[in-house]
Amino acid sequence: MGKVKIKNLKKSFGDLEVLKDINLEVKEQEVICIIGASGSGKSTLLRCINALEEASSGTIEVDGNDITRADGNINKYRQDIGMVFQQFNLFPHMTVLKNITFAPVALKLKTKEEAEETARKLLRSVDLEEKANVYPEQLSGGQQQRVAIARALAMNPDVMLFDEPTSALDPEMVGEVLNVMKQLAKDGMTMIVVTHEMGFAREVADRVIFIDEGFIVEEGPPSEIFGNPKNQRTINFLNKVL
Amino acid sequence: MSIPELIVQYWPRLMAGLVLTVEITIISLFFAGILGLVFGLLSVSKKKGLRAIALVYVDIVRGTPLLVQAFFIYFGIPQVLGIQSDPVISGIITLSLNAGGYLAEIFRGGIESISRGQMEAARSLGLPYGMAMRSVILPQAVKTMTPALINQCIITLKDTSLLSVIGVTELTQTGRLIIANNFQSFEVWAIVAVMYFVIIMILSKISKRLERKMSYGKSKN
Repeated sequence: MGKVKIKNLKKSFGDLEVLKDINLEVKEQEVICIIGASGSGKSTLLRCINALEEASSGTIEVDGNDITRADGNINKYRQDIGMVFQQFNLFPHMTVLKNITFAPVALKLKTKEEAEETARKLLRSVDLEEKANVYPEQLSGGQQQRVAIARALAMNPDVMLFDEPTSALDPEMVGEVLNVMKQLAKDGMTMIVVTHEMGFAREVADRVIFIDEGFIVEEGPPSEIFGNPKNQRTINFLNKVL
Repeated sequence: MSIPELIVQYWPRLMAGLVLTVEITIISLFFAGILGLVFGLLSVSKKKGLRAIALVYVDIVRGTPLLVQAFFIYFGIPQVLGIQSDPVISGIITLSLNAGGYLAEIFRGGIESISRGQMEAARSLGLPYGMAMRSVILPQAVKTMTPALINQCIITLKDTSLLSVIGVTELTQTGRLIIANNFQSFEVWAIVAVMYFVIIMILSKISKRLERKMSYGKSKN
């Protein structure tokens, strides 16, 4: 059963066609890593899945809901799709705790007490329990990103999207964020991760997708993509990044 | 008469003028704030038509002198409508519309200064646009806008002096009326200038304190 089903997805910005014909099915609890060069369309693909970018054509189903024809329901659908951004995008005027509890409380999914209880549990799981009452700017990049993951998880999503979650981090902080993501994968979260961390993809992904010029050029288990890539473009890309 | 004597003799009238000046300023800024917020939000809308409405409003306000706007609203419009106009109400309408245009630009700038990622993060959590704008974007925007907002408050306070030409007996008009009695231009205008200066200094000090209070995070640990 597919958690995320993408059919014939196309996306253009003006005359520039970024996604040319994407077909992808992600199963429940599957961890997908999307790799590819800058400008290949991998981030755009991810952003289409929760309609931060509007698909030009094709369909995207998440848990049976067609995101591309959401009309008034998009806010409802998005509640079940967590997203983690390259730039963290924590709300700077809210404490860590408020960052995590704000949406569930504002959307009346939880009472303040329930939300705070969940938030503290999540903060414990990302090892930041003692930072509940500080503001984001007092945290390191790695800490901010872990809070951002906790914030997304507080909505209890069915799927988590990660848009280059470690690209804006200093090298020494990449590990702590990847570890949180590994744990999340172990716990059975369905994850789609756009990443440049080939080590992470190799270790955690169930399937690796290589995107180039708006097409899925090659996909398969990491052992195959990294160990025995078939397509010349995949080989060229991997030669450059590994 | 010396300046102290003038102050003593005309104190009630000068104070009445000052009070009216401050009242008109506060009321105008209240309505201007609403107009500024509404048109500021329109100008960052995704819909072209809404942006166009905001653009036209701002262009009209910025493209015409305040004095002409005041004459138009006090003399022009009532003539066409065949109604009697009240100088104070006309003055408030004029200043509200005028400051509203500038505030709309301040709001637009403030909202646009917040990184797009903030809106995206809020929306990705399932928050509707309005809620994201109100709780995530605007609080941050207002903070960056504070110096510009204070500036506009001071400008509007000073702009009330232009309403003297349509017969509002605010502080400037009061000064003119006093001079018409005693011909002591130097002394009276000096007193009036100091009164404006003091009230604006008080306003600046209050707002400076407000600005400090609004900065979050940095002081705590």
